[in-house]
Amino acid sequence: MNSIISVKDLTKTYKKVDAVKAINFDVKEGEIFGFLGPNGAGKSTTINMICTMLKPTSGEIIINDYDAKKQKDEVRASIGIIFQENTLDEKLTANENLKLHCRFYNVPKHKRDDRIQEVLEIVDLVDVQKQRVEEYSGGMKRRLEIARGLLHYPKVLFLDEPTVGLDPNTRAHLWEYILKLKEKEGITMFLTTHYLDEAEISDRVAIMDQGEIIAIDSPTALKDQLGGDLIELSTEDNEAALKEIEEKMETVEVKVEEDTIHLKVASSDAFISSFIKTLEIPITKLNIRKPTLNDVFLAFTGRKIKE
Amino acid sequence: MEGIIAIWQRDIKKFFRDRARLLGSFSMPILFLLIFGGGLSGTMETMMSSGMGDGSNGFNYVEFVFPGIVAMTLLMTAIFSAMSVIEDKNFGYMKEILVSPISRVSIAVGKMLGAATVSTIQGMILFLLIPFLGLSYSIISLIQVIPFMFLLGAALSGVGLLFASMIKSTQGFQLIVQIIVMPMIFLSGALFPINNMPSWLDVIVKFNPVTYGVDVMKKIMIDVDGLSQAVRETMGLNLTVFGRSVSVFEEILFILAFAVVFVAIATISFKRAHA
Repeated sequence: MNSIISVKDLTKTYKKVDAVKAINFDVKEGEIFGFLGPNGAGKSTTINMICTMLKPTSGEIIINDYDAKKQKDEVRASIGIIFQENTLDEKLTANENLKLHCRFYNVPKHKRDDRIQEVLEIVDLVDVQKQRVEEYSGGMKRRLEIARGLLHYPKVLFLDEPTVGLDPNTRAHLWEYILKLKEKEGITMFLTTHYLDEAEISDRVAIMDQGEIIAIDSPTALKDQLGGDLIELSTEDNEAALKEIEEKMETVEVKVEEDTIHLKVASSDAFISSFIKTLEIPITKLNIRKPTLNDVFLAFTGRKIKE
Repeated sequence: MEGIIAIWQRDIKKFFRDRARLLGSFSMPILFLLIFGGGLSGTMETMMSSGMGDGSNGFNYVEFVFPGIVAMTLLMTAIFSAMSVIEDKNFGYMKEILVSPISRVSIAVGKMLGAATVSTIQGMILFLLIPFLGLSYSIISLIQVIPFMFLLGAALSGVGLLFASMIKSTQGFQLIVQIIVMPMIFLSGALFPINNMPSWLDVIVKFNPVTYGVDVMKKIMIDVDGLSQAVRETMGLNLTVFGRSVSVFEEILFILAFAVVFVAIATISFKRAHA
């Protein structure tokens, strides 16, 4: 697949602080690219540079074959952005917001009405398009922003924390829309979120920390790198249990944190049945899980992503 | 071009939807018309006739002050309309505009035309008061003055755009604008003659674009030639710069240049903005 975004040695320096340190990555056409990292990692700075909103100190950004430093207007026309905060005009109706967007992006006049109805259908807002946006709920506003971002058929859609501030139900719905969109339009998506479970839908994720990209791969591959499944347990006597585990069981890694024993094993399915039979000390708590991106993040950075 | 019109129309549409703003913006000019028209006219007219005898026959102070109050309304509406830039920044909409392929100069021009239109409409609505004030201007002069009002509104909104691009809060903007708007009105000849100012104030008068705006409006609306020389001098209808009197054409050029300079500065500030 071709690269739609290509970033080379991208650097941003504020006074003497390096916010982004010579990062390199490619986003392939049609994929969902997740961009993860704690607050202050340099995510927003990177996105702002890609979207022509911020001038890089050095380095190169190519989007859809245009240079983000020199061909700003062409780049702007090639991308759609859903910002973290609301950027709708709440005093206008949904339809008016979309019409303005068509004019800003020079969508051909005779196509405007059809396109507006088309994107409103994707996000299920056809019936309420004549209402002022101030009457919308938080979830509806987000959907309208997604619709607006699609209106000029961008090559890449940037979604910067699209579900922040929404309740879990609305969040789940929103992801349904986003996935539907990918299936239907095959649009490339560049996604940032700090809800790591949401990043699982990405084809590939890049993890950024302290201005550098420390890992980049598919979520499955990243999790596989951790080397196995995770078992957390508490027993009536952790020390004795620990001794027993070390003597009798095959584990990849054993750690004790407060009153919980953390085990990492190659395959939890094979391990757990013999483990329960063997262990003589009564278990008070047991949790078996496959690794998540949170564990990946923890392994790479040594800390959990801040919620 | 499409982008300019889109931004322009949006601001006009929002103006008409904001009823409170529509009504509130009339309170000030009407108040001034009452105070200066009703309260001061008797005094001014007595002063005139006692000072000049018969030469002041037919002089009507309200007729003199009305174009000034229209200009004042233009100034206030044009500058305050630029506040939409700050609102757009605070409500996030400016980001939507700035990430789109619209050129930065289109944003500034669109905002300027929006403010000019809104202020011209406000000024025209004041025309409705003319019969109630017992005034009569020729219809032709009123039609002639409208394009000039638009130009003046555009130039003055440039001042607003400049401040709006530098100030982050609407409260701060209102405060700063009050501080500059008041002297711009009082030192323009809108409300009283400005012939015999101390020289340091006179410098401000001559650099104040409102001075020329008010002067052109009076020259168009009031039948200056029909007034006696004495009345013209006393009421400051003989504006001179560096000792020579200026023509309407020169004044319009000055205001046009003023508009262009300010829209250029506003464009630069939009270029630097990362929203």
